[in-house]
Amino acid sequence: MTTTCQSLLRRRLRSDRRSVPMTLVAVFLAAVFILPAVWLFTNSLRPTAEIFEHLSPLSWRTLIPEAPSVHNYVTLLQGPFGRAFGLSLIVCLLTVAFGLVVCVLAAYALAVLDFPGRAFAFSFVVISFMVPFEAIAIPLSQLFTGWGLTNTLMGLVLPGIGNGLAIFNLRQHFLSVPRSYREAATIDGASEIRTLRNVYVPLSGSAIVNSALLIFLGQWTAYLWPLIAVSETRLQVAPIALAKTFAENSSNYGENFAGAVVLSLVPAILMLILQRSFGNLSLASGEK
Amino acid sequence: MTISRTSRSPRSLLGAARGAVRPWTGRRRAKESAWAALFLAPAVIAIVAMRIAPTASAIESSLYSGFPGGILEPVFSGLRNYHDLWASEAFRETVVRTLVFNLVINPLQIVIALALAVAMTRKIHAAGLWRTLVFVPATVPIVGSSILWGIGLQPRGPVNAIIRALGGEPQPFFTSADQALASIILVASWIGVGYWMLFLIAGIQAIPEEYYEAARLDRAGPLRTFLSITIPLLKRPLLFVLVADTVANFVLFVPVQILTGGGPQNSTTMQMFNAYRTTFGYSSKNLGAAEVVILTLIMLVFVALQFRLLREDRSPRRRA
Repeated sequence: MTTTCQSLLRRRLRSDRRSVPMTLVAVFLAAVFILPAVWLFTNSLRPTAEIFEHLSPLSWRTLIPEAPSVHNYVTLLQGPFGRAFGLSLIVCLLTVAFGLVVCVLAAYALAVLDFPGRAFAFSFVVISFMVPFEAIAIPLSQLFTGWGLTNTLMGLVLPGIGNGLAIFNLRQHFLSVPRSYREAATIDGASEIRTLRNVYVPLSGSAIVNSALLIFLGQWTAYLWPLIAVSETRLQVAPIALAKTFAENSSNYGENFAGAVVLSLVPAILMLILQRSFGNLSLASGEK
Repeated sequence: MTISRTSRSPRSLLGAARGAVRPWTGRRRAKESAWAALFLAPAVIAIVAMRIAPTASAIESSLYSGFPGGILEPVFSGLRNYHDLWASEAFRETVVRTLVFNLVINPLQIVIALALAVAMTRKIHAAGLWRTLVFVPATVPIVGSSILWGIGLQPRGPVNAIIRALGGEPQPFFTSADQALASIILVASWIGVGYWMLFLIAGIQAIPEEYYEAARLDRAGPLRTFLSITIPLLKRPLLFVLVADTVANFVLFVPVQILTGGGPQNSTTMQMFNAYRTTFGYSSKNLGAAEVVILTLIMLVFVALQFRLLREDRSPRRRA
């Protein structure tokens, strides 16, 4: 008896042993993907003139600047990009605020409330928001011109507020809340709004944060819409400002790199903080 | 009296519930429907105003012919725009190029993502770290990665420096009609692969360990285990990722607009960029609308497929 246990245990241990060659493969793969990002980051810390200087022969100097400086960042943020960066943050925060209200309400109706045609409504809402926005951005921009929404802050915000995946995830989460909670709240006299606010929302922290992140990322990386919905410089968002400086002044690589790093850092920091405080963030699965 | 009972007052609801006959289920249902309508209203308004209205307006606009620049009022011309597009060799080439691009980039990305997911779920040291490093490019917004690769793939840039160091000939990349589209694929894949890998890692981890134990007892080799266990049990997430990837790549726009402008010699002009250029570059609003309609129709098919896979995502896993 004990011997079988021991041999089982040993087999377990053996199969749990970590493989060094496989680790080396993983390290190599990771290096292939991360090296361009490292090059981007370290070269944002050196003057443009030096970026192509250390390429032949390749050496560690290619990656590591002799005298790292944040000069590129300073000039970048003092220029039009700085203003655009601030505007991008405002647009994204507004989008998340409005978007969460729209998506949470819709998800609650689709998950909890009982009404005729619910299955159809669910398919309709999610499919409508899943058609990539880019496909209809062009005709929408012409409609927005007619509605007086081009070159306005709300014009930038509105297309980002409905997110099919966010509604889908929230609905999935609301479905997992025991129905007896709602029965109890109803018997205590809570209205649907109060049930949602005091029962469902507090129980759905991670799902709501996840949805906020989805909405934020969608807006943060938006490019086509701000390109065609805004022509005034004062309403330029950060990706547009960066692409403009790249197109007009494409020899200033150092500053372009700094801009790309700043654009990447915001979602990265956000994900890190949210992961810390809420755990199991899953952009990757339809569940939870 | 009865009316006040069905009203929103909670006590009346409770009172109705106490009344043994329970006529309240029907009334409660009506009330729930009203709440549902209220809660769904913002989403439905957003859909009607920002999804359906532009689609309808694109369809309508596509049935008119206007003089580029819009000096004259457009006149109704039925399906002439579609007919013209179909007759245009450049447009047919654009559609074919979009399809070929998607037939190459999507399977390619998914195969690489799968290989990465398998490598990263082996018993290795610090697996989480390597996974994160592969995922990092996915967090770089596509404008940033387009600029990075635009500079990195320059004739005198670092990629050519590496090729030269390995003894190869420097390549023209974006400046050559033969390589520009492949370079776009490289840019898009550097971002996309790590993202799709996460989905597949989640899928692999959902496969019960017993299957692998059984394969080990049967002395199945790693390749056999992969083909007979991992692939069949990963079918659903694989399909989902493939369709979602296709939907994303069908409207790929940023690297084309920033890096090649559709060139050289139209070699990177795909449907999304083409519709943008027709509408804003050539100011042919009506023709651009027809191109948008065709693009949207193709997209709808893929989205419906994606939705089905998303909804069925849970059941097979439970069965497994």
